[in-house]
Amino acid sequence: MTAINSLIVRIGRFFDWHREVPAASLAFYRILFGALMLFSTLRFLLNGWVYDFYIAPRFHFAYLGFEWIPYPNPTVLYFIFVVLILACIGITLGFFYRISAIAFFFLFTYVELLDKTTYLNHYYFVSLIAFILIFVPANKYFSLDSYYNFVPAQKTIPNWSIAILKFQIAVVYVFAGIAKLEPDWLIEAQPLKYWLHTAHHWPLFGDLLKEDFTAYFFSWFGCLYDLLIVFFLLNKCTRNYAYGVVVIFHVMTWLLFPIGVFPWVMIAATTIFLSAAFHEKALRFLGKFFSGKQEQRTYTYLVRPNFKKQINVLFAIFITLQLLIPFRYLLYPGNVFWTEQGYRFSWRVMLMEKSGYAEFYLTDPKTKAAWKVDTYNHLTSLQEKMMSTQPDMILQYAHHLQQVYADTTILLGDKKLVFKDPEVHAEIYVTLNGRPSQLYVAKKYNLAVLKNNLSNRYWLEDFKE
Amino acid sequence: MIILKGTRHTKQGILAILCITWMAGCKEDDKPEFDRKSMLSNMAINVIMPAYTTLNGSLGTLQLETADFISNPDAISLAALRAQYVVSAKNYQHCSMYNFGPAMDCNIKASFNTFPTDAAKIETNITNGTYTLTINENLTAIGFPAIDYLLYAGSDSEILAKFTTDPDAGKRKTYLSDLVAKMKNEFQPVLDQWQGSYKTSFINADGNDVASSSSYLLNEFVKDLELTKNARIGIPSGQQTGGTIFPTYVEAYYSGLATSLAYEHLVGLETCFTGGNGSGFDDYIRDVESDDVTVSLADNILAQFTVCKTKMDALADPLSETITTNVSAVNDVYQELKKLAVYCKTDMTSMLGILITYQDNDGD
Repeated sequence: MTAINSLIVRIGRFFDWHREVPAASLAFYRILFGALMLFSTLRFLLNGWVYDFYIAPRFHFAYLGFEWIPYPNPTVLYFIFVVLILACIGITLGFFYRISAIAFFFLFTYVELLDKTTYLNHYYFVSLIAFILIFVPANKYFSLDSYYNFVPAQKTIPNWSIAILKFQIAVVYVFAGIAKLEPDWLIEAQPLKYWLHTAHHWPLFGDLLKEDFTAYFFSWFGCLYDLLIVFFLLNKCTRNYAYGVVVIFHVMTWLLFPIGVFPWVMIAATTIFLSAAFHEKALRFLGKFFSGKQEQRTYTYLVRPNFKKQINVLFAIFITLQLLIPFRYLLYPGNVFWTEQGYRFSWRVMLMEKSGYAEFYLTDPKTKAAWKVDTYNHLTSLQEKMMSTQPDMILQYAHHLQQVYADTTILLGDKKLVFKDPEVHAEIYVTLNGRPSQLYVAKKYNLAVLKNNLSNRYWLEDFKE
Repeated sequence: MIILKGTRHTKQGILAILCITWMAGCKEDDKPEFDRKSMLSNMAINVIMPAYTTLNGSLGTLQLETADFISNPDAISLAALRAQYVVSAKNYQHCSMYNFGPAMDCNIKASFNTFPTDAAKIETNITNGTYTLTINENLTAIGFPAIDYLLYAGSDSEILAKFTTDPDAGKRKTYLSDLVAKMKNEFQPVLDQWQGSYKTSFINADGNDVASSSSYLLNEFVKDLELTKNARIGIPSGQQTGGTIFPTYVEAYYSGLATSLAYEHLVGLETCFTGGNGSGFDDYIRDVESDDVTVSLADNILAQFTVCKTKMDALADPLSETITTNVSAVNDVYQELKKLAVYCKTDMTSMLGILITYQDNDGD
């Protein structure tokens, strides 16, 4: 009974949004997140990705509802990245923190919204964390803002600012776990069977990674890990071990798969679950490099303006959305891997190996002109790869082709192909998680007149298991 | 809480059991050994470098035959030069899919075989007597297609006349010999680099990232297959234009050797896929596939290669005439090539997990 009682007390404390907790946890988190984003932004720049992903493409796959976003010219784009770097530094140091957090959230999200080709779940995660950071008082402790008295220094902060971060991480893991409860992952161990094979040149482990057994082990372990890790992290008795598992798990995925900074984002993000004592110790260690000035601070215990109601409402909305969005695929018939309706923003990570072969045909019923499009003239190879398996991008590309070729004439030797108002048809084959390739889009639909919206994608061929 | 505390020992136990089962699982396995490094080694030593050496040698001979022809243009030397041209053009069909590393740096693919060639541009260059063959504008006036034009456009007597009695005969001779010399001079360093340090770096880049040799091999293999499907067959036979045919757009239009070159190219692609007698993509596929697979993708692809080759072989040369007389047979070949391309670009690419871009990937 005592165990149950203490559990209830604990849960109660966890949901007591407004109780005061040590500020060190949030300050520690702010520094780690800022530093990691600084690294990530610099890496993005130094890899030449600003050019490759945002300047080189001649066409951009906008998100539904965000087509109105103005596309920046290269100078503005590089300027945005410079501001992003400054914002990361501002967040890390807690210097002009609020404005830095706001700038980082809007600019980072803006860049992400420019082209869905580069959509990654962890970018979405970063946007959400950055959004939360705007509202939490992460600069009240161990920050230049408090050092220079821009804000009153405080040793405690309200619990909600920690709890909401924990909630956000829990959403990522648990939904990623739920998404893995499906036959391809559990019964076929796909796509891991294929992906693990790519590391077969590793010394010692290479041969092991080829085994089907290994793929099943990773699949099942990964699923259980995602579903349960947060609960072990929340529990005081297990959290240190659980964090060890987090580190091992993500380092392993970093070694095995080309997933960039995502593992480090998660390793950093989950530190919020560690004890406040640890966060304080870490900050004290960091403080040594700043000649102990932090110790001389006088901390105010300020009476907070009573925003409890507003905060409760804001949280209720945020949490509800977070819980509902990943389930929106249930509103559609068919297999979510095939139709990809409700696929993005749902924490479906590492679940799908999908490749396509897409050919687009222009025909003008009036002039009888016909032309098979060379996609490499219009899209980058990354865009083509993404477009040929994702239905909304297929439609966007078709609409783009319609615009490009309307009222154009193609000269071929002594022949003229005149297009007034061309129809756009496509023939696309797709392979999904190891199944033989099958017809995805048949030539019968004029994609130029199909609307790109949230309605059911009847124009896709039926999925054959 | 009690339950959770107890898990520490249980976990250790489970871990031990898993390790033992794992080991046991491995011992039962008897898949043949495969690794990318030995595939790359085989491709370099037994496929790519021999193909390069052969092409380089035939370009050397082509240069000699060209010199013979120029010093004494007659029916005999023309026939000998043509024969060597055909040999070289066919040898090239076994090299074009290795368009990476030194070949890429030297822009071999574009400068050796951009077709259809531009006859008017070639004639202008000859008449002017001054030209820079390395500029992009001249890509359609150089390489095998330009030689094809110089050696085959018109009747034999007309061609010989252009090299003997024509006022521009001297300039024409120079142009021909410049074209051949350019190819030889460009290809020799490619072979030299392979025989030097590139071979080792090719074999050592044995990862699956976009800068790995497997990625180069696979991507260029698929691209070159697309080239045969689209440029060699599709465009001339009207597949690109809803049935409007372009017979003069075939490869080697003047010699009328399009289908035999395309056939040779399919043989080259097949060797690229199988690695000849050694380790190749087919072995890679078999290694990745589950043991319980009924029909291997490798067998499907090989069977499709056979279908394509058989149907290509059945097409009569010159292809430009076959397109006007029996376009449905050509379209049939196109459809088979498309099936092959779908296999290679979707099923095979997906299975081998070889990347085409640097972008981070979380599998969606």
